[in-house]
Amino acid sequence: MRLTPLAAAILLFAGMPAHAHRLDEYLQGTLLSIEKNRVDAQMTLVPGVAVFAMLIADIDTDGNGAISESEARLYAGQVLRDLSLSIDGRRLMPHLVSVQVPGIEEMREGRGEIRIEFAADLPAGGATRKLTLENHHQSRIAAYQVNCLVPRDPDMRVNAQNRNYSQSLYELEFTQAGARADSWSLSWFSASPEPLGLVALLLVARFVFVWRRRARPLKLRDGNAPFKMV
Amino acid sequence: MSRIQHTVRISILMALSLGPVAAQTATSRIVSAANSFLSTLDDKQRQSVLFAYDDEAQRKRWSNLPISIVPRAGLSMKELSPAQQTAAMALVSSALSPRGFEKVQQIMDGDEMLKSNAGNGPQNGRGGGGPPPGKGPDGPPPGGRGGRGGNRGPGGGGLMFGKDLYYLSILGTPSEKSPWLLQFGGHHLALNITIIGERDILTPTLTGAQPALYTLNGKTVRPLGPESDKAIALLNALDENQKKQAILSFRLADLVLGPGQDGKTIQPEGLKASSMNEKQRAMLLDVIAEWSGIVNESAAAARMAQLKAEINETWFAWSGPVTVAPGSNIAAYYRVQGPHLVIEYAPQQMGGDPSLHVHTMYRDPTNDYGRAPNAK
Repeated sequence: MRLTPLAAAILLFAGMPAHAHRLDEYLQGTLLSIEKNRVDAQMTLVPGVAVFAMLIADIDTDGNGAISESEARLYAGQVLRDLSLSIDGRRLMPHLVSVQVPGIEEMREGRGEIRIEFAADLPAGGATRKLTLENHHQSRIAAYQVNCLVPRDPDMRVNAQNRNYSQSLYELEFTQAGARADSWSLSWFSASPEPLGLVALLLVARFVFVWRRRARPLKLRDGNAPFKMV
Repeated sequence: MSRIQHTVRISILMALSLGPVAAQTATSRIVSAANSFLSTLDDKQRQSVLFAYDDEAQRKRWSNLPISIVPRAGLSMKELSPAQQTAAMALVSSALSPRGFEKVQQIMDGDEMLKSNAGNGPQNGRGGGGPPPGKGPDGPPPGGRGGRGGNRGPGGGGLMFGKDLYYLSILGTPSEKSPWLLQFGGHHLALNITIIGERDILTPTLTGAQPALYTLNGKTVRPLGPESDKAIALLNALDENQKKQAILSFRLADLVLGPGQDGKTIQPEGLKASSMNEKQRAMLLDVIAEWSGIVNESAAAARMAQLKAEINETWFAWSGPVTVAPGSNIAAYYRVQGPHLVIEYAPQQMGGDPSLHVHTMYRDPTNDYGRAPNAK
């Protein structure tokens, strides 16, 4: 019988008498914090003792037994690439804010927490919005947990959190006061409000232009009688 | 020393040292017990156990993990003489209710059981005489992990389990007026009791148990049994529609707001108590009382009054198996959350029966460590 590396690792550690630490899972907890134009996320990743060996090569890429800052950032980048974050169906590009990686020994013992903070700007949108986070990082061994913090902004309100069983897929429905009540929006044009004013001005100018052009033939049809506005 | 002898000694010590108990408030009893304990220590021990009230590193130096994995600071039971141990436990007892103190002892007895069953080798320890935890900015990072700098040794070496590996520390000076913090904890236990005048604030506090069911002196013990029994009784008291709301459709593998997540408020989920009937709300309060009632009676009564007033704004959520064998613990996660409350009960899947290894968390995200603006 052939054993997969994961099964072999679990069998190896299952012989130990008691476990005070995570064993065969890679716990990945995410706390989201939403603001009107931004989402922040704090990820806490805890490799289990039995699966550590499967992960370390991705973290300590040069295999020298120490995790450099660049290796930590590379790994955080890998985690972020395994995530998919979108708002109202539009893909967002999260950027790394910070990463803290504990020592290899701490992780080997099941007590090391990798902390990754990332953020993404939210384009303007309707009053009711849906943020979606998909996490596929190390899905074979992952135990995902995703939650949203209660928004600090009283104008923001969480309506629902929906997840699949494993929490690899998470949807957050929220409302923000002050945004348009309907879903129609010109947010695709730009996240900043100034060009919307410009568009409105152009539309008004266009309307005036068309109206004046339509008015001119009338004046001509009246022959020599001058058009007079009363 | 047997449990009975130990309890008798603590009771005698408290009766002798605390004077006319009837005339004392809870805080004055705790302060007396703290001063009695401190009077048993030598200078070096006092230096080890006392911290500045604003020592944030020490304040956050707690965890569900054993001390060899997350080193604590202060004085461990192992470092104390029998008389000092008795005085230390009398101090802990003075801050808690009888049931709260019994729960603490059962958690410690469970760890002793774990030591007997699992051995106490350097399974995951750092070897004897490992670096001490930090006591300043080089202390533990957010997450409650022990730091590696500083000058105070945890004294745990590579040891993992056992009732002598629990630490006591005091932040500030025991006082009936000025705020101070009493900490007691180790593996599966972190009591953080902030004492501000007559207010004793128990949040954040972590309790856990492994094994969460054992036999001691012929008696079956479940340190967190009532937490399990009362919660499943409440679940079973819900109608089908209520259950649909209370039971989450996803798995929860661990605490969401465990060590290192101070002051955070997650969006509540599940069934709101305003949708429960009176009997169900009373059952929910009874679940809550398992945590709010750990602290001494007068503090627990004040806290319970606050939580009762907010019960309609309190939520109950459940994830996992909805049945349990008689006399066993549930294998499900549950959460109770209100405006000033987060309780989590999280069985641990760590290579064994999750009902036998449980972590729980008790918080007031608005007032962890008595930090609410009106707390002082």
